[in-house]
Amino acid sequence: MTEKSLTAPAPTAQLDVADRLLTLLRETGTEPRPDSQLEALTLAVAADLPVLLWGEPGIGKTAALTQLADALDLPLTTVIASVHEPSDFSGLPVVGDDPARQGVPMAPPDWAVRLVRAGRGLLFLDELSTAPPAVQAALLRLVLERRIGALRLPPGVRIVAAANPRSSAADGWELSPPLANRFVHLQWVHDHEVVVRGLGGTWPRATLPRLDPEQLGEAVAFARRAVCGLLTARPALVHRLPSSEARRGGPWPSPRSWEMTLQLIAFATAAGASRDVLSLLVRGTVGDGPGLELLASLDRMDLPDPEDLLADPAGAALPERGDLRQSVLDAVVAAVRSRPERERWDAAWTLLVRAVETGAPDLVVVPAMTLASLRREDWEVPAAVERLTGVVTISGRADRAAARLAAAGSGAGR
Amino acid sequence: MTAPGRPERAQLDREKLFAARMQAVRARPYLATALFALHLVESRQVPTMAVDRYWRCYASSAFVDRTPVEELAGVWVHEVSHLLRDHHGRGDRYAREHGLTGRAERLRMNIAADCEINDDAFGDGLARPEGAVDPVRLGLPSGKLMEEYLRWFRLGPRTEEYAWLDCGSGADGLERGWELGPEGAHGLSAQERDAVRFRVAQGINGRPGEAPKGWERWAEEAFHPPQPWRELLGGAIRSAVCGGGAGDDYSYGRPARRSASLPGVVLPALRRRPPRVFVVVDTSGSVSDTELGSALLEVAAITRAVGGRKDLVTVVSCDAAAQSVQPLCRAEGIALLGGGGTDLRTGFDAALRARPGPDVIVVLTDGQTPWPKARPSCRTVVGLFPRSRKANENDPDYRPDAPPSWARVVEIGAPS
Repeated sequence: MTEKSLTAPAPTAQLDVADRLLTLLRETGTEPRPDSQLEALTLAVAADLPVLLWGEPGIGKTAALTQLADALDLPLTTVIASVHEPSDFSGLPVVGDDPARQGVPMAPPDWAVRLVRAGRGLLFLDELSTAPPAVQAALLRLVLERRIGALRLPPGVRIVAAANPRSSAADGWELSPPLANRFVHLQWVHDHEVVVRGLGGTWPRATLPRLDPEQLGEAVAFARRAVCGLLTARPALVHRLPSSEARRGGPWPSPRSWEMTLQLIAFATAAGASRDVLSLLVRGTVGDGPGLELLASLDRMDLPDPEDLLADPAGAALPERGDLRQSVLDAVVAAVRSRPERERWDAAWTLLVRAVETGAPDLVVVPAMTLASLRREDWEVPAAVERLTGVVTISGRADRAAARLAAAGSGAGR
Repeated sequence: MTAPGRPERAQLDREKLFAARMQAVRARPYLATALFALHLVESRQVPTMAVDRYWRCYASSAFVDRTPVEELAGVWVHEVSHLLRDHHGRGDRYAREHGLTGRAERLRMNIAADCEINDDAFGDGLARPEGAVDPVRLGLPSGKLMEEYLRWFRLGPRTEEYAWLDCGSGADGLERGWELGPEGAHGLSAQERDAVRFRVAQGINGRPGEAPKGWERWAEEAFHPPQPWRELLGGAIRSAVCGGGAGDDYSYGRPARRSASLPGVVLPALRRRPPRVFVVVDTSGSVSDTELGSALLEVAAITRAVGGRKDLVTVVSCDAAAQSVQPLCRAEGIALLGGGGTDLRTGFDAALRARPGPDVIVVLTDGQTPWPKARPSCRTVVGLFPRSRKANENDPDYRPDAPPSWARVVEIGAPS
């Protein structure tokens, strides 16, 4: 030890070795990997809606923001809220020569001035929930009104805020329902696999959604149809304040948040985003229940129109998934019931035969029985119905099994 | 469902399986959407029937051949229950939280998940499949959740007969070699899975009384799992304690150090005023000591965590009259007096008369009490012990008042 350290190079060289080690550690690659939460964040930021990321500290929110800034080609400014004072956001009073005449201007901090001068940028307000209440109040004004002291942030600046979940926030930060209603809430969680692969040297690289200029008009029409369709059928969903303590501080439906939802659907459609991404956005804006209802009604919008199917039963394409196929068949039979005509009745039988020949026959049992009950006296049973024998067999087998069970005492096994 | 024999070389009898699904749909109409959403796949590796997390249902032709239709109907409902109840997601979470690894632990999860399903899945039009797992046969109570069962049993002689059990990754979260995986055909995406579960839950909620209690509870909580009351009570107390007038915040009471650089300007400075919390405890006969003890300890711990010193937490025990007011010096050493009827208004009065006055009043009660007519001058958090609302025999018109709207109310459940 002694001899070596005597001949060893000067301590600065030790730092060089450390630098080399650090360089080696920083050599990491990336791999493409779909990332729904990052896609959702990108779309919400592109739509210029205030986003609130809920996530434990240290799970890669800042890394995600860096990637987002790259994708949107915006310079990133990070402000850690908890180390600032309220006057840093509402402006520092600067006293001039004659305050009574000229007033006291509220000077904004340097990063705000730089942002305004650049005209564009991504402002990330981290640790919103660990800041003292007065700082939080000043920050919320910044997020919602885009004002810092006397400055107004230009439209090219996008703002994202991050907070710790209520259970782990040190001092009980929470949003009142009116404030919560103004945000798109995104839950930020880490993916175990991504973290392990990343520490092994390969971080994910998400391909972020790009808006297709050709799709804009269609996207707006689709979004309007989706939201208006749902709210016409379910007026109770328009406005519903969160009732229980567990849902406080989270998203809830109101005309304002529905308008945000409409915007987000249009953006997701124009970007060709998946339903999974849209699900994160919609549930983060109007809450789980109304959000899921909206998504369910979008699924129904994708289903073929029963009238189209009845008009061309031979060329009909029925959905593959059993539950969707069953709702289509139910809708077809309901359409025949609402306007019973001979041709429509025949067309419906053709559709049922197609359904049996291309998928599970048990789905057809109930629609076939209902359709049979719609028969008028002078309507002859179409020849195609013979091909539904499989349905009759299945129904019979189910009946016999139920009868056996009833005979054995319906409480078998209890 | 007996132990797997040698796979026979028969084709899968789809017609028999579909007849069974038909019968299952007739017996459990509220599960129809979920049953129809399953995609049937023939598999020679699966011992009986199994599901993966993408809503594919694997079936062995040999098993289908030897099982009567009415039992197959029970198996359909059983398998779809794994998916609706999100046993794969819950299994994964449980494994992560408890550091469980390995095939044996997943078998244990499968058995626990089966216990959760089977105690009320069969009967009433559905036959119990032969050899189905039953909590009672394992010596466990019925009506519990998978996570609770997991705490109570180990693999051993009692579970030996289930060693072949395999309901697939849909039941325990562990991917099997024979499953088609996320890339395979006809899988449901996360959003589609949620949509199916949501439709089933909505169907059950929309027609209350048709489904068994277990399913109704599932439907209520499927998308809003109840949060532990400790977290909610903590959140409510923290936000009350940290609100304006208490705790860390900026005040103009003393100038900030930054004022030196701005002569003539008064800037606020960060000041700390520890919150004073008064806990009004309902000691009337209807609240048990265990309930009170755990809630009181919780309040004291939360208050300390947000910076209140022990001497700033004061306990007022109260039945028809406020009995005693004492500082909480030792969390366990509070004499709770009382035991008669309840009138918490006297407790409020006692707390508000104290000098210096409280920043927050936390009330622990079962709610069988009149409440103050006017809003008190400080924030109020009510920890409510759940009670079934029973009518008073002597006074059929008597209804206790609900906690007032100006209080934050947290329902305190079983010790968790």
